[in-house]
Amino acid sequence: MSSLRELQHAFATAIAGGKSSLVATEIVPDRMARRSLALYRRLIRNNYVHTLKITYPVLHQFVGDSYFRTLARGYIRRYPSTSGDLFLYGRHFSLFLLSLKAPRILVELTRLEWACHEVYQAAETPLFTKEPWESLASSDPSCVSFRFSPAARFLRCSLPIHRLWQALQPDASSEEAVDLPLAAQDTGVLVVRSEGKIQVIGLRAHEYRVLEAMDDRKTVVEIEQIASECGPQRDCASFIASMLELGVLGGIEIGRRS
Amino acid sequence: MSHLVATPIPARAGIGLRSYHFHEIVDTPPPVAWMEAHPENYFGEGGMALRILERIRARYPLSFHGVGLSLGSTDPIDRAHLGKLHTLIDRFAPTFVSEHLSWSSVDGQSFNELLPLPFTEGSLTIVCDKVDEVQTILKRPMLIENVTRYLTWRDSTIPEGEFMAEVVRRTGCGILLDLNNLYVNAVNFHLDPVKVLDALPHEAVQEIHLAGFDQIGRVLLDTHGQPVYPEVWSLYEWAIHHFGPRPTLIEWDTNLPPLSLLVEQAVQADAILGAHHVLTA
Repeated sequence: MSSLRELQHAFATAIAGGKSSLVATEIVPDRMARRSLALYRRLIRNNYVHTLKITYPVLHQFVGDSYFRTLARGYIRRYPSTSGDLFLYGRHFSLFLLSLKAPRILVELTRLEWACHEVYQAAETPLFTKEPWESLASSDPSCVSFRFSPAARFLRCSLPIHRLWQALQPDASSEEAVDLPLAAQDTGVLVVRSEGKIQVIGLRAHEYRVLEAMDDRKTVVEIEQIASECGPQRDCASFIASMLELGVLGGIEIGRRS
Repeated sequence: MSHLVATPIPARAGIGLRSYHFHEIVDTPPPVAWMEAHPENYFGEGGMALRILERIRARYPLSFHGVGLSLGSTDPIDRAHLGKLHTLIDRFAPTFVSEHLSWSSVDGQSFNELLPLPFTEGSLTIVCDKVDEVQTILKRPMLIENVTRYLTWRDSTIPEGEFMAEVVRRTGCGILLDLNNLYVNAVNFHLDPVKVLDALPHEAVQEIHLAGFDQIGRVLLDTHGQPVYPEVWSLYEWAIHHFGPRPTLIEWDTNLPPLSLLVEQAVQADAILGAHHVLTA
């Protein structure tokens, strides 16, 4: 073979399950040669399956090892890795499940676990000091908006998927039954890293809308308007306070008038 | 930019840092001389892993052992990957930065596996260009590690030890000598590991790796999932006698054991290093 590039390309083709005769002729025919390509194929595949298991531990537990491996192998064929950093591998898993027309519960659980995966390594939330809060109290609410923490994500869901996630955590009680209504609901889930730990919290529809408004940099006045549209009983201020306490909000901006 | 300065690693045993042992290490720091981490596990911008690495770095000298640069690939170096490595090095000031003498990507597709190179003049040029590029960007020398292989390329014309020695000569890099990899290759291909060791320039060997393998039939698999085998300990004693004492890492990646077993293995390596000190004194 004339070049290293051609050799590497032929090896890649053989590993992907394609024509292996080209690369096989480049291997010394010793006792290892017969099994070497199959061995590398297995090592590579097992490495990706292991990576996906680490990234999607709840899905793995929920569907069982055998079915998870089947899904993972399909994914590996469809989405080859493009980076030496395995942290990025698996980000299209929910899209892949969607393309298989997999049950909604699996797709949503996968989206949730990818959000957890991203949040786990996201940048730290800037620490709030007292000053912005003091200025917030005296500011015109039509000029105040919020910045989201890099270590927080919120997702729209049609199932209370957070309950499944919580029930399948290693420290959860195995006795607890999870009641997942089958009818679609307009709901959401919040993922936030708080004091180093991942928290997954269910959101009601109006809470999701408030977070969406915050993420869109709406002002406090606009956020209150959206909350009031969801019903008069919604306590927007206490919800915002709870989000601040959890570390969902990474900053306050004062200046833009709605 | 970090205010840390790289701490010299003594010619003693250290252990590979795995998240499975994080809390135990933080709660009860084990009596080992240093630790080694895969930098790719800390490429995120924040989170618990980085915080724990900071605590460990405050207590132990650290080295970084990369798995993702693909030095033997004909693709260009992934500059984003290298940039993340650079940022991490600035922050943690590791004593050694090492990578593998292998390839793992072609045409933008990565296999995330340490694939063997044909030992040819062409491979030598590609590897040396990559090592030069990495060392120039990182502004520091790196170590290259010999890998396990499960095939031999027909085109290989240069013996492995001579290939590594030539990379050292052309680039000024050092060598991370993995004795388990060497032993696994020797058994699988009926080779004499001492021939490889004899070809390596003594002063270039700056770190040694020890690990365990698994056996399927007559084939040894480099799983890093078992204690170091007696044959590898023997090779280690030979290598320490040959090269002199070197910082030595107990590497364990799969089927992770309790931390105490890793420490026991490190103590065993320290005993061999200590015995050499006594003999030479």
